Amino acid sequence: MITRRDRPGTFLLTLAVAIVLTLLYLPPVLDAFRPYWVALILIYWCLETQGMINLGKAFIIGLLLDLLGGSLLGLHALSLVILVYLVTRFRARLRFFPPWQQALSVFALLLNDRIILLWIISLRGDPLPSLGFWLPPIVGTLLWPWLFLMLDWVRASVRRRASS
Amino acid sequence: MVTGGSGAGTKFFGPAAQTARLMLYGLLAIVLMAMDQRGHYVDAFRNQVAYLTEPVYHVVEWPVRAMRNLFGQMQSHRSLRQENSDLREALLGQKGSLQRLETLNEENRRLRALIEGAQGQAFDYQFAELVRVDLDPFSHKVMVDRGSGDGVEVGQAVIDGAGVMGQVEEVHLHFSTIRLISDPNHALPVQINRTGLRTVAFGSGVTGALLMPSVPRQADVREGDLVVTSGLGDRFPGGYPVATITSINRGKGQTFVTVEATPLAALDRGREVLLINAPAKEVPATQVPTVEKEEQALPDEKEAGGDET
Repeated sequence: MITRRDRPGTFLLTLAVAIVLTLLYLPPVLDAFRPYWVALILIYWCLETQGMINLGKAFIIGLLLDLLGGSLLGLHALSLVILVYLVTRFRARLRFFPPWQQALSVFALLLNDRIILLWIISLRGDPLPSLGFWLPPIVGTLLWPWLFLMLDWVRASVRRRASS
Repeated sequence: MVTGGSGAGTKFFGPAAQTARLMLYGLLAIVLMAMDQRGHYVDAFRNQVAYLTEPVYHVVEWPVRAMRNLFGQMQSHRSLRQENSDLREALLGQKGSLQRLETLNEENRRLRALIEGAQGQAFDYQFAELVRVDLDPFSHKVMVDRGSGDGVEVGQAVIDGAGVMGQVEEVHLHFSTIRLISDPNHALPVQINRTGLRTVAFGSGVTGALLMPSVPRQADVREGDLVVTSGLGDRFPGGYPVATITSINRGKGQTFVTVEATPLAALDRGREVLLINAPAKEVPATQVPTVEKEEQALPDEKEAGGDET
């Protein structure tokens, strides 16, 4: 399906949108449901392109996210590096999973990420978060198929425009 | 050896090299986190980068601002008039109570002059609005739209209409970040308004609760008591309301009771805040010659400097 190399511009655009969605103000009730947008975007680009996302880029994007979000410097860097590592490792398998199975593996990835975050929280000595802490992976999984289709569509239309 | 890894890395693409790279980056991230947590080694770096991050915040805030303007324009004339008259009524009520406050203030000053000479000070306030950007939910920070350009300084106390919110932690040109009192690493010197008992209120990590772990067992504390700042620690001026006590846990065989309190300020949903400009170096207003209770009061009052991670 993908024959031509994708442009980094498309990736940067989707990343920018994901970062905006991460920081966008939501009423406190909805805030708990906010998925880990940047992770979802990175999983997509890891799966669909060969070698466009590497660990170094994931690290830098994570640092950027930490600086913007005011979290502990290196927190998101660690989480995204591990995520990208896992996706590139199992890329060949994940790519050919049927959609529901892929969504399940995305769930596993996001859940793993939350567990890492929980580990860091407990290392810092902060109190353990409430049950709402586990909502974002669920929301992310439910969003995944739609996000996948939408990103496919974005990429296809960018490529079409470039070739015409 | 592994290369730095910022290149495309086609040469070292084997799984072993990849794992080594994962280790490298993971280690780097952990070192950074430790540096951020333990000392303030990375603060300078954060300040440098603020020039890059500031435009991003503006972009993110733009849709919210646009929405608000749109709603503002759609509000009907009548509802505005209604709101206007409501506000006028509220203002009148507040003016009434302020008049009494003025006389009380005067009386207070006279009494203080009689006792010691420590004087109550008048504070200047600076209005600021929260920047509508959601920071990391575990960071316990909010941003306001005033920065060093408006004379904001690190350490200034921040309150909203109902009570103390936190203190200014980083100042950039056009915005500054505020550490909320709900942060588990934040300690706020307080006293219980009814009895004058001094203690320290720590953040609990949840926006709806503060903890006071070091109240002596025999102390006179009741549910519903108002907790105000004590003015010790030289960071928060004294006498501002902080929280009301919601529960008191008198566990058996413990020297201290754990008191839980609900902050009065709208930590997670406020919109406007006031930054307090403290007048230069004076004795905090609340250093009243003390109640005897204070002897037993607090082992760790000294460490209650304000923040510190």
